[in-house]
Amino acid sequence: MYGFTGKILRVNLTNQSTSTLNTADYEEWVGGHGIATAVFFDLMQDKLVSAFDPGNTLVLMSGLFAGTLVPGASRVEMVGIQSQSYPIEWFGRSSIGGHFPAMLKFAGFDGIVIEGAAENPTWIDIIDGNVEFKDAAGMWGLDTEETQRVIFSQVCGEINTRKQPNVKADNMTRWPCALVIGPAGENLSRIASVQHSAGPAFGQGGFGGVWGSKKLKAISVFGTGSVAVADPGKLLQETMRFRKKYGADFDNPTVSDWQEYITSHFGGHPGRGGAIFDNQRRAHGCYGCHMNCRPKTSIGIGTGAICKKGRFYQKFELAKRGRVTEISGKATKLCDRLGINAYVIDVDINYLNTLRQKGVLGPGKEIDTDLDFDQLGEAEFIGDYLHKIAHRKGIGAILAEGVARAAAKWGRLEEDLASGTLPLLPWGYPIHYDPRTEVYWGYASLVSSRDINCHDFNAISYWIPNLDVAAGKTPVVSAAQASEIIAEKCRPYNDPLMIDFGDDNMYSIHMARTTAWLLHYSLFWKQSCGLCDNAFADFINPYAPDNKGLTPDGEIAFFRAVTGKKMSFENSMEIGRKIFTLNRAIWALQGRHRDMEKFADYIYDIPSEGIVMVPGRSPSYFMPVRENGQWDYKNVVPRNLNRDRVEEWKSIFYELEGWDVNTGNPLKNTLEAMGLQSVINVLQKNDKL
Amino acid sequence: MTKRQNPKRNRAFAIEQIVPEAEGYLIVDPKKCTGCGSCMLACSLAHEGKVNPAFSRIQIISDPLGYFPTDIQMAVCKQCLYPQCLIVCPTEALHIDKEHMNVRGIDREKCIGCQKCMHACPFVPSRIFFDVNQKKAFKCDLCKAAPYRKKKSGQACVEICPVNAIKFSAKTPFPLGENGYTKNLRGDGWKQFGLPTD
Repeated sequence: MYGFTGKILRVNLTNQSTSTLNTADYEEWVGGHGIATAVFFDLMQDKLVSAFDPGNTLVLMSGLFAGTLVPGASRVEMVGIQSQSYPIEWFGRSSIGGHFPAMLKFAGFDGIVIEGAAENPTWIDIIDGNVEFKDAAGMWGLDTEETQRVIFSQVCGEINTRKQPNVKADNMTRWPCALVIGPAGENLSRIASVQHSAGPAFGQGGFGGVWGSKKLKAISVFGTGSVAVADPGKLLQETMRFRKKYGADFDNPTVSDWQEYITSHFGGHPGRGGAIFDNQRRAHGCYGCHMNCRPKTSIGIGTGAICKKGRFYQKFELAKRGRVTEISGKATKLCDRLGINAYVIDVDINYLNTLRQKGVLGPGKEIDTDLDFDQLGEAEFIGDYLHKIAHRKGIGAILAEGVARAAAKWGRLEEDLASGTLPLLPWGYPIHYDPRTEVYWGYASLVSSRDINCHDFNAISYWIPNLDVAAGKTPVVSAAQASEIIAEKCRPYNDPLMIDFGDDNMYSIHMARTTAWLLHYSLFWKQSCGLCDNAFADFINPYAPDNKGLTPDGEIAFFRAVTGKKMSFENSMEIGRKIFTLNRAIWALQGRHRDMEKFADYIYDIPSEGIVMVPGRSPSYFMPVRENGQWDYKNVVPRNLNRDRVEEWKSIFYELEGWDVNTGNPLKNTLEAMGLQSVINVLQKNDKL
Repeated sequence: MTKRQNPKRNRAFAIEQIVPEAEGYLIVDPKKCTGCGSCMLACSLAHEGKVNPAFSRIQIISDPLGYFPTDIQMAVCKQCLYPQCLIVCPTEALHIDKEHMNVRGIDREKCIGCQKCMHACPFVPSRIFFDVNQKKAFKCDLCKAAPYRKKKSGQACVEICPVNAIKFSAKTPFPLGENGYTKNLRGDGWKQFGLPTD
C-alpha cells in the first residue's frame, strides 16, 4: 500500500498490551482523518462515553502524504471524544505538523489507536516497530519541554554529544519525535494541548486533558524505515515542478502582507510578524515543507509560534507597554510548556477583563479572583494566569474547564452570549473568523463539532481585500477575477457565486456549496491526505501565471505519484463527502439534532462592526460581492445574520449533503449510495434512521 | 619498520600524491537551512526509490528544542582533497570517479562492509553511511547514481531546497575546513522576510 507502512498500532493502556490493524483494511478511507474516523467507528462500540472515560478511544493517524516529499504534507490527525466542545463532548478532531507524522511511519506505523487508561503515569517508547510502555512517574509534573528533553536523553543516550540510538543503523543523525502533555493535561484541563517539539500542538479539542485522564504522558517515535511510493521519479519531478512554478522564490520574493498569514496559499512565506522581538531567528519548517512558516529564535522564546498563537499576548503588551517585546513570546512559550491551547487565551482574557470592568470580577467580587488586571500586558499577569489554569488554582480551576463552561457555572453564559460580551462560535469555541461576515466559516463550524479552522476561502474573502482594498492598494486579483478562479477550480460546483458575500447570498445554495466544498476538500485533501491548511487549497497565487494557484492540478498529480492511482478531483470530493457523512453519523449517535445547530444570539442580534485594518480609519470588512451584475470588493458591515434565513440555509445544506432536513441525520439512501451498510445498521439499531 | 617500508602507509602516501581534486562540491548555509529535511527525503528518493532519511547522503541534524543558529548542522560530504575514506578502503571500492567530477564514490560491488571508511571520515557525524541490511557503505556521489531522478544534471538536494541553502560549486572551497564549505547564501530576498543576513 503506497504511502503507508501497512500497520496501525493498537495500544491498550489498561493492560499494557499491543496489537496491530492492517492499514489496507481501511484503504477506502484514504488516510489521516478518514481512516482514524473509520477505525474509531469500528472500535468504539459505545459512542456516548465521556471524554475522560477510559472507554474513550483516541486514534492518531498520519496523512497519506506524510513522509513522502509531497510539499506541505507532514500532518497527523487525532480523533476521539473531545473534552473542549460545549455543551456536549462531540466526537472531534485536531492535527499537527512537525516531524512526528513522517517519523511515525519511519518507525513502522501509520497510526496509533489509544485505548483504555493506565493506572500510573506512562509513556510509550516506539523504536523501529518495537513498542514499550514505560514508567512516567518521574516525568509527571514536568512541562512539555522538560519532558521531551528527558525522553530525548533516554532514547538517544548522551544527548549533549548527539549520539544517536544504535538501531539498525549507526548513521542516524535525527532525533526522536515526541508527543507530550504538560501540567494542564495532567490536571484534566479541557483547554489542554498535546505538544510536539517547540510549537506544533494538538490545540483545539482538549485532547491534552484526555491524555491526562489516561495517565498518558508521552509517545515517542523513532525509526529508520522507509515509505514506498508508486512512482519515485514522478514524485520528484512533480514536487520540483509545482514548487518552482507556485512556491515562493526565497531569493526574489513577492512579499505580500496577506501571504504572511495562515490562510491557504501555496506561495506563502515566513511571516515577518513572528517573533519580531528577536532579529536573530531562522525560518523553520515541518518535514518536507516548502514554505517554512515557523520562526526558530536565538533565545527559544517564540520558537514555532505562528499566527494567533504567536501573537495572542501582543495586543495586551502593546496596550500596557507601548511596544512588543519578548514578553509576548514568553506568553506563548509558557502556553506550550504548560500544555495549554494558546488559541483560546486572548478571548478568555478579554472576557474576564470585561467582567472586571463591569464590576463583576475581581477580589471580593461575585467572581472572586486575585488576578491582577493592572498587570495585564506584563509577564507577571500572564504567568500567574496560565499557571492558575494549568494547576487549577483559584479561578484557574474553573477556567481550566474552558470559558463556556466557566460562564455557565457563573450563570452568565446566556446573557453574555446574547450581548456578544462572550463571542463564541458554535460548540463553545472562541470566535475566529466572524460568521456574520465570513458566513461559510460559521456554517462549517455549526454543522461540525469545532471551530472549523479551514482557510481555503479566507485569503480571498478576508486577507486580500482587507489588507489591500482597505489600505487603498490594488489587490493581486480583482473581485471578478477571483470569482472566475473560484468557478474554475471549485469542482464539481464551478459556481462563481460561491464567493459572493452580499447580504442575500448568505443564505443561498451558493453558500451551501461553499461550505460543502470547504468541508469535503478539507476532509479528503488536508485532513486525510495531510496537506497543510497553510498551503492548500491554492486559489490565488502571485507566483503563478494569471495568479491562478495549483488547485486542483497539484493535488491530483501528487496523489497519482504517491499511490499510482488515477483519481479525479470530483471523486476525491465525493470521498470527502463520505468521510463527512461518517462524522455526521457519529454525531447522530451522540444525540446531534438539527435543533441544536444554532449560533449564539449575538450572531443574530448584534451587527458585526468589522475590524480596524488601517489605524485611524473606521472599522470595515471588505469582501467580494456581486451587485447588479458587477463584482467588487465591498464593505459588508455592519451585518448580523437572520435567524429564519439561517434555518432556511440549513435545509438547503442538509438536502445538498443528503441528510434528513428535519433531524440533520444522514439519510438511508445517502448511506446506501456510499456503500456504508455497516453505518446504516448501527444507526438503525440506535433509532437514528 | 619505517614509513616507506609499511605497505599500507606507502599506499596512503601514494594516494595523497595522485588524488585529483573533485570538480564538484556542496556549499551550505546552516543559518539559512530551515530544517525541513526536504533534501534528505529527495536524496533517498532519488538514489533508493523510497523515502527514508536514513538513506540520505546529506544529513540535517536539527535539535527540535534548540536555539538559532546552533540548532542545525548540515552534514554534507566535503569531497576531501585528501580523502581518508579512500585511503583506508581495502578493496578500492572507494574511488575517484573520473567520469563524474572526480567525486569520491563507492563501488557497491567492491564494498565488503568493513566500515573503515566510516571511521576514517574526519567529520562528525561521518559523511559515509552504512546500509545495515545490504552491509554496504554509501555516500554522496553528487547524484551520479540517482536512477529515480529523471533530470540527469545537477543534484537533488540543491534542486529541492526551498530556500536555496545548498549550492553546487565546481570550485574547490577555500579554506578546506568547515569555513570553506559554509557560506552566507542569504541575500536581499532573505532580508525582506525580516530574517538575518549577517
